[in-house]
Amino acid sequence: MTEELMLSGCLRNNATAQEALYNRFSPRMLGVCYRFAKNREDAEDMLQEGFIKVFSQMHQYRNEGALEGWIRRIVVHTCINILKKNKKFSDSIDITNAHSIHIREEMIPSIMQAKQVVECIRSLPLGYKTVLNLYAIEGYSHKEIAFMLDIEESTSRSQYTRAKSMLEEILIRKKIIQKPKKKTNFFGAV
Amino acid sequence: MENEFYTDEFEQLLKEKADQFSMYPSKRVWHSIYNNLHPSRRWPSVVISLLFISSLILIGYLNTGENSITRPINNSSIISKTDVEETFPSQKVNNKSQVPSYSKTVQQPEQQYNNAFADVITNETDFYTYTVVKSNRPHYLNTTTATSPDIKLTAETPETNNTDEDIVQTVNTYIRSNKIFADIAVFNKKSKPGPSKSSDNTNNITRKDDADELSLPSTDNAKISLNPDANKAKSEETKTAETKTSLDPKINDRDITKEEKAWIENYASENKSPSKKWKSRLGYQVYVTPAVNYRKLTTKVKGSATPFANGDINHSISQKPGFGFEAGFGLNYAVAKRLQLKAGVQFNYTNYNISADQASHPVATTILLNDPSTGYSYSAARTSSTSNTFNSTASKPVTLHNRTYQVSVPIGFGYKLSSQNNVEWFAGATVQPSYYFGGKAHLISSDLKSYISEPSSINSFNLNLGFETYMNFKLGTYNLQIGPQVRYQVNSTYKKDVALIEKPYAIGLKFGLTKGF
Repeated sequence: MTEELMLSGCLRNNATAQEALYNRFSPRMLGVCYRFAKNREDAEDMLQEGFIKVFSQMHQYRNEGALEGWIRRIVVHTCINILKKNKKFSDSIDITNAHSIHIREEMIPSIMQAKQVVECIRSLPLGYKTVLNLYAIEGYSHKEIAFMLDIEESTSRSQYTRAKSMLEEILIRKKIIQKPKKKTNFFGAV
Repeated sequence: MENEFYTDEFEQLLKEKADQFSMYPSKRVWHSIYNNLHPSRRWPSVVISLLFISSLILIGYLNTGENSITRPINNSSIISKTDVEETFPSQKVNNKSQVPSYSKTVQQPEQQYNNAFADVITNETDFYTYTVVKSNRPHYLNTTTATSPDIKLTAETPETNNTDEDIVQTVNTYIRSNKIFADIAVFNKKSKPGPSKSSDNTNNITRKDDADELSLPSTDNAKISLNPDANKAKSEETKTAETKTSLDPKINDRDITKEEKAWIENYASENKSPSKKWKSRLGYQVYVTPAVNYRKLTTKVKGSATPFANGDINHSISQKPGFGFEAGFGLNYAVAKRLQLKAGVQFNYTNYNISADQASHPVATTILLNDPSTGYSYSAARTSSTSNTFNSTASKPVTLHNRTYQVSVPIGFGYKLSSQNNVEWFAGATVQPSYYFGGKAHLISSDLKSYISEPSSINSFNLNLGFETYMNFKLGTYNLQIGPQVRYQVNSTYKKDVALIEKPYAIGLKFGLTKGF
């Protein structure tokens, strides 16, 4: 089914078109949710709520930009909203002494490639990984992140710096990346 | 998005790898999304369930024994014990153990039969009651042709292909189940002088002065007549003792069939003295039903181009079912063996959740109302401090609760579908006129962007329907009832001038405790 057919079907609340759109984008969107979530079940809940919003707001899609990008933004917003309802999230985002958090070796999964990197991101503290996900992967600015998470822009910057540093350490320890000798050679064989 | 985003190779790696990553969700996710997007398609299962319950009720009703009176009866087949023994000599030996009990029991003079049923049939009224309930008793009792207290056994050859054993068994079962007493007693009652209120022939009980046979059902191809001549010398004490023995339910339970037992219970129930009847039939109940509340929103818009008119409004609101409950007190009255009427008073609390965002300050918005005289929709100014999650960027999430507090008067019935030992299965329905004395209503604005708190929009009166099926456990003097219940509100929660129509329904589990008076 083409994207246009899917869109027109979804606008008519056609179940077949909705399922086709869901089947096309849900695996990647679940990957997005998984980076924010505590576990797979939570990620699926986020995905479910996100797609309900996607189908409900389909009439607002203006064909400006990729459909996937539009869906992704809704899913990310849904993830953040769900995280914000969790009290632990608001506690973790205020953590300032990032350097005192120690990542245990067994928390770091020993899997390869994309999932390896994603699992390393997920092993970060909740506040860190959220800021890192939003800034480095989803492309939001610190200003936008600050608005989304109800924090100061400076907090977002410092959280990101610490998150990046910690992740780098984890990836090196797991030999997923090498210590940069030169800037261009940072990722070694990758 | 900042320009320096891709300046760092590390960040680029993270983005690349994260974008490559994908996972396949379980089927549960799509099913949940589908059910949320198409709530109406879940209704077929509810309708099918209701049809199923209705079918069970109908089947139960049709199997209450009404059919038995329409069975064809062959009065021509008359047999006596003697002839049974002569015609089927093999049974003479085999049924010896049964025949004596038969003889002891039935060879009583007329007065003894009357005494035996003195506690059941006490006056003329009881006889007429009996004639009414008679239609429910086993079919072979509907062709009684008892006439004379001088009972003797005569016989004719059976006409059908029933085996010898079948016939003798039928005769013995009939006699030992005490139905013969009922027939004879009824006949004797009927023969007493007194005002006649109904036709004697209406229930197939006829007196033939020239005949002295008491017929058995034609379907069993047996008709017996009894001759007590040989036993007239028996002492009164022995007779009384025998009569009591023959009426002992423990003894009879061995031979009484399910159909017969049902008839006996019904007969006994119908013939209780009027003063005791209502007490044994009336019970009171307290119950509580925790429930999950759902709702279906629709719109009633005329001449308006607001987003209200675009698609299903349920998809424009982030809403979740909430928990509610009902608690009440009621009275049950058993109008028949299987049918109970119910009435009572109950309190209901309903709750439905809406996910919204708290605005930093109140904003001006509009609510869509309908002009009662013209029917055309118009927008009325309101203020709101909460916004629709779907139409706002992430802010401070809050949960709005649409609540109602109700007092209802449920009136309905319960029908016993089946029973076994101390467990009974019921299905029932109630109509519940309800008064709404409080609550909260958060209505979506005309532009679907905000929620407006408008508790005054709730209708004060409404009508609810309740459907339930439950198991009734007999625990001594109390009955415990547990079963699922569906409660559906017939009219919209909101007043007629609101363009939004809300039809909530609740699915719960009812726990009830019933006790008789």
